[in-house]
Amino acid sequence: VGIRLDEGSIPAAPEVSMRGPGFVGTIMAVLILLLLAGLAGAAQFKGGLLTPTRAAADFSLTAQDGKEFRLSEERGKVVALWFGYTFCPDVCPTTLAELSQARQRLGKDAGRLRVVMVTVDPERDTPARLREYVNAFSGAFTALTGPPDRLAAVRKAYGVVAEKRVVSGTSAAYLIDHSAFVYVVDPAGQLRVMFPFGMSIDDMVHDFKLLLQ
Amino acid sequence: MRKTKRSAVIRAAVLVLAALATGPAAHAQAQTIQTSNAWARRAPAMESMDKMGKSETTGKMGGMDKMGGGGNGAVYVTLSNAGAQADSLLSASSEVAQTVELHEVKNEGGVMKMRPVQAIPVPAKGKTELKPGGYHIMLMGLKQDLKPGDRIPLVLKFEKGGEVRVEAAVR
Repeated sequence: VGIRLDEGSIPAAPEVSMRGPGFVGTIMAVLILLLLAGLAGAAQFKGGLLTPTRAAADFSLTAQDGKEFRLSEERGKVVALWFGYTFCPDVCPTTLAELSQARQRLGKDAGRLRVVMVTVDPERDTPARLREYVNAFSGAFTALTGPPDRLAAVRKAYGVVAEKRVVSGTSAAYLIDHSAFVYVVDPAGQLRVMFPFGMSIDDMVHDFKLLLQ
Repeated sequence: MRKTKRSAVIRAAVLVLAALATGPAAHAQAQTIQTSNAWARRAPAMESMDKMGKSETTGKMGGMDKMGGGGNGAVYVTLSNAGAQADSLLSASSEVAQTVELHEVKNEGGVMKMRPVQAIPVPAKGKTELKPGGYHIMLMGLKQDLKPGDRIPLVLKFEKGGEVRVEAAVR
């Protein structure tokens, strides 16, 4: 029986091999299409895509109005997280000004984007100081501080670097080297995209709109 | 951008013509440094609360010994050097801040490091653009809010070009 099957398979073999390129080709084509779709999906975002996405680490900190802010209570909104400090004159104001413009350009969806600054300088940044600082950019922004160890835990969860430096040649008591990415959390609470410093406002608006769809 | 470049060229040409017209004696004093696109980022003085300006004891800014003011700002400007010699911006001053410093920000793998610099070089027949994430003039201990529409006067001091006045538009 086995021989017959073998024999039977012999004439079938060329048939399979003739059909083969078509069959394999179809699979290849599907794979290529899937790959392209995947690439297209990835390319849809202008910022750095986090794959696989993961749940954004939850945290609870004190907002500029003295109230408690918890990230997990922002479901349904896109949250743009920025880690900075009020003494910073260049990178932080640039980013906040750009996020403010991007938010305005969302029009009626602006309310569905929560921009949150988490201080890397709790020594200087009291809620009152944070309030005055972020209000210069948008009254709708949230600025958070808290106990140093809790802020450090949040930074660690997001891979944010912040190092206090006493530098010579400046009258500043100290400066802080810090990561300059905007971490974007989708309405389901997944950390999806990271904006590098210098990404255009157009690209930010583009990515926010995708996540708000 | 192109417009800025063209106007810089026109201004440089006017300077050369002016220098030729007034003779060699005036040539040495011709203004070789031109500024364009001077602007400052909006910033709060943060005077109303949590004052944190210049310390009386250490002279440091943003220390825990609190003294009036405390907000910081940044001014950006494009410096063009029409001269045949390289020049440098050595310092800047402004009445709106307690202290003004020259700073540079470097992006090292996504970590931003801001440091003071002694000078900002402006190449001969070239230009240096002060811009976010690069060089800036840092205003420390703002005495007033920098609000969109305001114009901030500054005096820039160059190694060869001497003093140049500039007004930065807040935006």
